[in-house]
Amino acid sequence: MIYDVCIIGSGVGGSGVAYTLAMSGKKVVVLERGLFYREKDFSKDEIAYCKRDIITPNLKESYHTIESLEDEKWIKTATYDSENSFFNGNVVGGSSNFMSGYFHRFKPNDFRLKSTYPEIKGANIMDWVIDYSELEPYYEKVERLVGISGEVTPHKYHEPRSTPNFPYPPLDEHPISKLIDKSCHKLGFIPYKTPRAIISKPKDKRDNCYYSNYCGSYGCSSGAKGSARVSLLEPALKSGNLTIITSAFVKKLEEKNKKVTKAIYIDTQTLKEHYIKAKIFVVANQAVESCRLLLNSKSLNFPNGLANNSNQVGKNILFSAGGVGSGGFDFNSMPIDELMKEGLFVNRSLCDWYEIDGVKGGIIDLLFEHANPISKAIKERWQDGELIWGEKLQDKIFYKFTKTRRVNFEIFNDWLPNDNCFVSVDDKYRDIYGVPVANIRIGSHPHNLKIANILAQKAKKLLIEMGAKDINISISPYPPSNLQAGGCRFGDNPQTSVLNKYCQTHEIKNLFVTDGSFMPTGGSLPYTWTIYANSFRVGEYILNI
Amino acid sequence: MPRELISFDGVTRRVFITSSIISGTILVLMPQYSISPIDIKPFKIIQAIQDVLFPKGLEAPSALEFGATNYLLRVSSHSSFVEFDLKFLIYGTNLLIEEERDFLSMNAIDKDKALKNFISKSQKNKNWLSLLLYYTIEALLSDPIYGGNRDELGWRWLGHHSGKPKPQKPFGEIV
Repeated sequence: MIYDVCIIGSGVGGSGVAYTLAMSGKKVVVLERGLFYREKDFSKDEIAYCKRDIITPNLKESYHTIESLEDEKWIKTATYDSENSFFNGNVVGGSSNFMSGYFHRFKPNDFRLKSTYPEIKGANIMDWVIDYSELEPYYEKVERLVGISGEVTPHKYHEPRSTPNFPYPPLDEHPISKLIDKSCHKLGFIPYKTPRAIISKPKDKRDNCYYSNYCGSYGCSSGAKGSARVSLLEPALKSGNLTIITSAFVKKLEEKNKKVTKAIYIDTQTLKEHYIKAKIFVVANQAVESCRLLLNSKSLNFPNGLANNSNQVGKNILFSAGGVGSGGFDFNSMPIDELMKEGLFVNRSLCDWYEIDGVKGGIIDLLFEHANPISKAIKERWQDGELIWGEKLQDKIFYKFTKTRRVNFEIFNDWLPNDNCFVSVDDKYRDIYGVPVANIRIGSHPHNLKIANILAQKAKKLLIEMGAKDINISISPYPPSNLQAGGCRFGDNPQTSVLNKYCQTHEIKNLFVTDGSFMPTGGSLPYTWTIYANSFRVGEYILNI
Repeated sequence: MPRELISFDGVTRRVFITSSIISGTILVLMPQYSISPIDIKPFKIIQAIQDVLFPKGLEAPSALEFGATNYLLRVSSHSSFVEFDLKFLIYGTNLLIEEERDFLSMNAIDKDKALKNFISKSQKNKNWLSLLLYYTIEALLSDPIYGGNRDELGWRWLGHHSGKPKPQKPFGEIV
């Protein structure tokens, strides 16, 4: 069979395309490396979902090599040694099953960083080839189809909207949100109500949120969280036009006469090789793995990998810059039974410094420390750099669990694209299937830290005003592995970009890349909503080819 | 002492049951966890160390009560367990016994002193104990499906409410 479209990867970037095309009668096949977990399969098992490689490839099976700068030398480490996996949620629906769902739209200026802000030396910044108004209808579509709850906060940096309100009312809030609001008002900050990709009312076969207290890092057992699986792929399956093949690791795309003809995959259960033929191929594997696939798909026409005759594939990979911090609260802040209320959301952000003195700033999200008991208790075994155990440790854990609660903040600011941040492949390092793994050089621009530190001080000021004790801040040049973008920039110039404005490769007309890889800059926000919106946009374009 | 081995058939899917190192209890091992034999001698010493790390308190359960060693024996047989961690735990345990030959016969206070003395000697020794504490705390607060947190003793001690639904199968297996 020759499918109309073959999509590699079932996460956010592929699902908008799959939904749009399958619902319009196109025959679509999605190849997913992982398994098909549904609501009944998910549980709040900290060992399975937070402490072991269960929903990502075992690092003995596949891994990445990471290059980081140490004493002015690039040192390469394999992730099976560091145990810091750069895979994220390899199941149907991808990492969106396990997200916290803090959803922000990019602001209009995020589409034109180069033309709006002063030049930063060493940063390869370019404007997007589309503007906010072109993506706005798709942001709105995500609100309806994926399901976003919230309440619009009037704010000078709020992006224009085509509808006045979110389709789902805000989720129930914890009493500490009132303390945040009060403290913000005292300081002259604007408490921004964070939109969430979690529905507060039932939708079709999805139940509303049941406030499990274990949201981020876990699959949702009610279907309230707007994963690509529950919100788009499962409805699309009902059309009869969508096929999802699981345990399918795509090792190579074959090309002939500048057209992709086959996706060759290994069934990771049987280890047998298969192929899929289609008229159009869409790669949506998350940025790092998408670059890896193109770079490993070498042919006579493309000796450096597909769509890579300008050597742009893998370049200018993006993460999210920023950091984290937290402050402790106890009965002095509010009645202990109120402080300890479980399951309710904080849902507050600070967007006041999206611009700082004419340069691009970022946002701060506020949330409670995760309820995961192991993660909470394990930190307590250290005191002033020394190990403690016995009664001393037991008392410390007991106090932590019964008398205090921590409010965390997460800072998001632009990860500046630069020449020392890229994905490559090296034949010396292969996975158990014999396929070269991705090498990620992680070069952080000094400006990333400068902005993150400014934002951290703002967050600290708020925590002090709220009465927090024991405030800590951790700002690092090392990025979180779950927010990946760039590596296949879109643009008008085939010499400096891989994709055109519709995320179609300049060099191969039946090949598209629709995860976050297309982004030349990644905004100062989690970019899941933007990837969803863009996936719908590209899906409509493909439909009309 | 004779070398004691736990081995089981890794091909069939039947549940394998063997006597636990903790008297009066049964340790259930599922064959898909591993096909490698496990030397349980170091686990006997680990059990003695864990009872120093997490003794019976006024309200706190002891490592023996919540099944810390059972937990470690079970999860370390699963393919998701970091191989290095198991080797390092056993290496450090053997080193402790080489240096503190009477450790098992010591009273709790002397065991505590011996551990403090041992970790003061090198960063590696300190890392070893840190890792053992890590897995002891995992045993205290993980879902009882893994063999630790027996009768939810850890959760009950801390008034902790586990997330729902609880796992029906370990290691995220599809239901």
